Amino acid sequence: MMQNDDQEIIAQLKQESTREVAFHRLVSMYQEPLYWHVRKILLSHEDSDDVLQNTFIKVWKSIHKFREESSLYTWLYRIATNEAITCLNNNKRRSMLPLNEVSDILMHNLNSDPYLEGDKIQLKLQEAIVQLPEKQRIVFNLRYFDEMKYDDMAAILDTSVGALKASYHHAVKKVEEYMKNTD
Amino acid sequence: MKENKKNVPESSKLKNELPFVVPANYFDDFYARLHTRLETEELVLPKKRNKVIRLLKPAFGLAASFALIIMLVYWPVKTYLPKYLAKTKNIETGISNEDETYLSMINNLDENSFFALLTEVSEPELLQEVGLNEDEFLSYLSSSISDYEIFIQSEN
Repeated sequence: MMQNDDQEIIAQLKQESTREVAFHRLVSMYQEPLYWHVRKILLSHEDSDDVLQNTFIKVWKSIHKFREESSLYTWLYRIATNEAITCLNNNKRRSMLPLNEVSDILMHNLNSDPYLEGDKIQLKLQEAIVQLPEKQRIVFNLRYFDEMKYDDMAAILDTSVGALKASYHHAVKKVEEYMKNTD
Repeated sequence: MKENKKNVPESSKLKNELPFVVPANYFDDFYARLHTRLETEELVLPKKRNKVIRLLKPAFGLAASFALIIMLVYWPVKTYLPKYLAKTKNIETGISNEDETYLSMINNLDENSFFALLTEVSEPELLQEVGLNEDEFLSYLSSSISDYEIFIQSEN
């Protein structure tokens, strides 16, 4: 059902006469899941809003290049992930921190973002996730919060299922250790 | 889901919920803001351009530029310096209309007729025509001949 809907939207997006209506429909369907996916990577609402807009603008510009080798869902998530990583790298460059200090930026975002509500344990979990390397962080978020299948994750992140499982396993271990050691 | 429960950090029998929130009506307003941004970037209705016109556009532009340059140079010269144009035209050809008629007559003659025409005009008359006396005429004819050639002809 979902696949048929996606195919219909793609077909309508590629036609001049139905493009705008189809685009509105696409945004309505995917704005929330993509937003939360990006928000988990960036933590800041402002950055996430920018990235979400960039993602849909990119979709608008390049829908005619979409060869439908992957599903629309995978393609959108891939664009959103890449845009989020680009935003993170731009923030790193602006702050002139070494590449492995991005956790400081994210921690700052976590502590200063006004759109943050949650209990102590939820915030502590987020702190633990911030300590993870970039790839592990994305994999952990997709698997733990979104319960995404490894096959879908592999298509989005262009990584093998085995590597993703290993990545998730390591991420879980590190998060556990952080939660136990910081009370 | 089972795998997740198994791997969930023990210290958080957490629901896998996020501690993040969004501003009120954020998702309701999102499309409108996105649309505004698209319009700003002039991407809302990208115009489909004809491929042929797109390819020929530079050629048309070049042709138009040349035409403009020619008009900017030619028209003022034609308007304000017509004599200059006429003079230039004559210099280019180097031949007046009368000469052109005479030459075309000569070109139409065969060889015998041409020589007959030359001999029709007697020498004194020819000399009178060109305004030369006999000695001047001879020196003109011999100006292109070397002294050796004159000597050989006189000996023969």
